[in-house]
Amino acid sequence: MSYIDIRKLRKSYGAGLKPAVDGIDLSIDRGEFVTLLGSSGCGKTTTLRCIAGLERPDSGEILLDGKDITYDQPSERDMRMVFQDYALFPNLTIADNVAFGLRLKRYRGRYTPEQVKRRIGEYLDLVHLADHGGKKPHQLSGGQKQRAALARALITEPDIVLFDEPLGSLDANLRKAMQIEIKRIHRQLGKTFIYVTHDQEEAMAMSDRIVVMNGGRILQVASPEEIYAAPNCQFVARFIDRANVLSGIVVSTEGGQTQVRLGDGQILRCEGNGVAAGSTVGVMMRADRINIAGGPVDGMNMLKGMLAERLFLGAKHEFVVDLAGEAGQLNVFEQEMPDGLGGEVMLSVSPQDVRLLAE
Amino acid sequence: MTDLTADTYLPSEGESGLKRAKRIDRRRMLFWVLPPTLWFFVFMIIPYGMLFYYSLGSVDYVTFTPGLSPANFIKVFTTEPYLGVMLLSAKLGLFTAIFSAIIGYPLAFYLAFHAPETVKRFVYLLVIVPWWASYLVKAYAWKTILGTGGILNTMLIGAGIIDEPLTIFLYNQFSVTLTLVYIFTPFAVLSIYAQLERIPTSLIDAALNAGATRWEVFRKVVFPLSIPGILAGAVITFSLGFGDFVAPVLVGGPSSLMISNIVINLLGVAFDWPMAAAIGLVVITLGLALISVAHYLEHRFQHRL
Ligand SMILES: Nc1ncnc2c1ncn2[C@@H]1O[C@H](COP(=O)(O)OP(=O)(O)OP(=O)(O)O)[C@@H](O)[C@H]1O
Ligand SMILES: [Mg+2]
Repeated sequence: MSYIDIRKLRKSYGAGLKPAVDGIDLSIDRGEFVTLLGSSGCGKTTTLRCIAGLERPDSGEILLDGKDITYDQPSERDMRMVFQDYALFPNLTIADNVAFGLRLKRYRGRYTPEQVKRRIGEYLDLVHLADHGGKKPHQLSGGQKQRAALARALITEPDIVLFDEPLGSLDANLRKAMQIEIKRIHRQLGKTFIYVTHDQEEAMAMSDRIVVMNGGRILQVASPEEIYAAPNCQFVARFIDRANVLSGIVVSTEGGQTQVRLGDGQILRCEGNGVAAGSTVGVMMRADRINIAGGPVDGMNMLKGMLAERLFLGAKHEFVVDLAGEAGQLNVFEQEMPDGLGGEVMLSVSPQDVRLLAE
Repeated sequence: MTDLTADTYLPSEGESGLKRAKRIDRRRMLFWVLPPTLWFFVFMIIPYGMLFYYSLGSVDYVTFTPGLSPANFIKVFTTEPYLGVMLLSAKLGLFTAIFSAIIGYPLAFYLAFHAPETVKRFVYLLVIVPWWASYLVKAYAWKTILGTGGILNTMLIGAGIIDEPLTIFLYNQFSVTLTLVYIFTPFAVLSIYAQLERIPTSLIDAALNAGATRWEVFRKVVFPLSIPGILAGAVITFSLGFGDFVAPVLVGGPSSLMISNIVINLLGVAFDWPMAAAIGLVVITLGLALISVAHYLEHRFQHRL
């Protein structure tokens, strides 16, 4: 049995509406850093609010250490949340906002007044807001408010911290710095962090495990490495780092390899079998595993296409290669710049780097 | 020059673009500013000017003599009963404001946070509907409730608590305050409700999530954020209570005569218009001061929600 057990959680915001969370099963271990990842409106916030007790699920249960807490009051749970819209108290200064939890009856007597004062200083420092403690929330920028909300959630050192896109309005540099900071706090405190983001890069960088969601359901739960290397469906593959996904028909399976005919008639070999000949499948290839080749290479899949677009990304170039007919497009990362647009290019990809995906 | 609107956009000879734009702006300004200025002048400046003019004069039996004497203003503060009655009016006005807020708050709170949409509309109606009935009728209703033959006494006698009807309920400051509170509480409710409605639920969620009890959520978040609504309501109920003259006449006694009754007497019975004007001006000045303070406090407690 895990620390947190979510079973068949379902929540709809009204009769006749499509459920925002539609039967979620998830187990989380103590001290884990788990990220809910998914596009806007897929039910991440709703799931988090159910865990925090701010939303009453229609059905299903949430167990904490084996104890059913599904319908407990939010204030009875030792969980703090960083709200997506900050939810700072406008009548209090930033320092008082951060200290809000410490001054509640619940924590009375745990800290002496001097300790309270010191902690406020520490946590304001932690989120780089030491100079802003005396300001009111409306005097802060979006990113500063977000960091104040972060400090407010962490200051009482709860067993579980729920983050709802806590870095959404920070610029790239500060975002990176805060990601590292949150990781460090996680390691240092050893508490359970449940994190929500729609940024797959952030999810990959921070999490022990990623939960990919879509339409109120969970598609895959796995470590970042596994999610990246072995997505279990086309949606996950496309969502994580925009993998190339083409559809094709299995023509044969022999010797541990499967041959797939793409829409333009080209044949692609990939490792593994288990899909019957004649069935429609998806094949996934990562852009960084595809190379632009001068001529045929032994043991590799060779694909012909037309160079349609070229984007400079700094450390590398991204090429968009159109396959003939309606077969689709491939994104390719390369260091070197090939010949001009509109010309034919040959691509090579190892059978080991092609994955079969269920439709 | 038949179409005025078209004309405004036609540049005249040698006029620069900026000049033309400014000319059009001026015309537009005139259009929007003139009516309110006129209104303000006719209904505010002129009456106040007349009030001031009268207050400096004097009356000999029934003939008004213009003058420039501050005697009436001095009388307001030195001669009984003016100052005392003004203070009493302020006291009853303050009671009206306080009790209206205390009674109105829970209802406003329920409406804002707990009432389902249908109940909300229904209660809202219940708050508004009494205003369709005349104020007089409502004040009169209290007479029949509190009087010696009234419902309250009948009930108390029926229950065997008293043998003789009590007279303490009516014709005193208590009955005046009660009537004023009853009549003006809706203003407090609506004003507090409007403010409570503005509080984002996410703030309440955040407080609960931080571990606050329901009482702490109220004390630390909801109440502080609702203060501007309480103040706005209090200014209205105080002003209405302070200036009321119907309740004192219907359910009040000699001990609960209020300043408006005095003014009415001066105007209609004593024909002392200058004295009435002086009292009016003093009351208006005090009212302005009070509203300014309340306004300042409201802003002090109004946070961007
Ligand atoms: N209070 C509400 N009333 C009605 N529908 C709601 C409410 N809150 C959310 N929804 C709906 O429920 C679904 C899931 O919403 P949720 O806020 O959980 O999404 P999310 O994954 O957090 O999205 P985002 O990344 O944009 O924050 C959405 O379709 C949304 O429109
Ligand atoms: Mg959300």
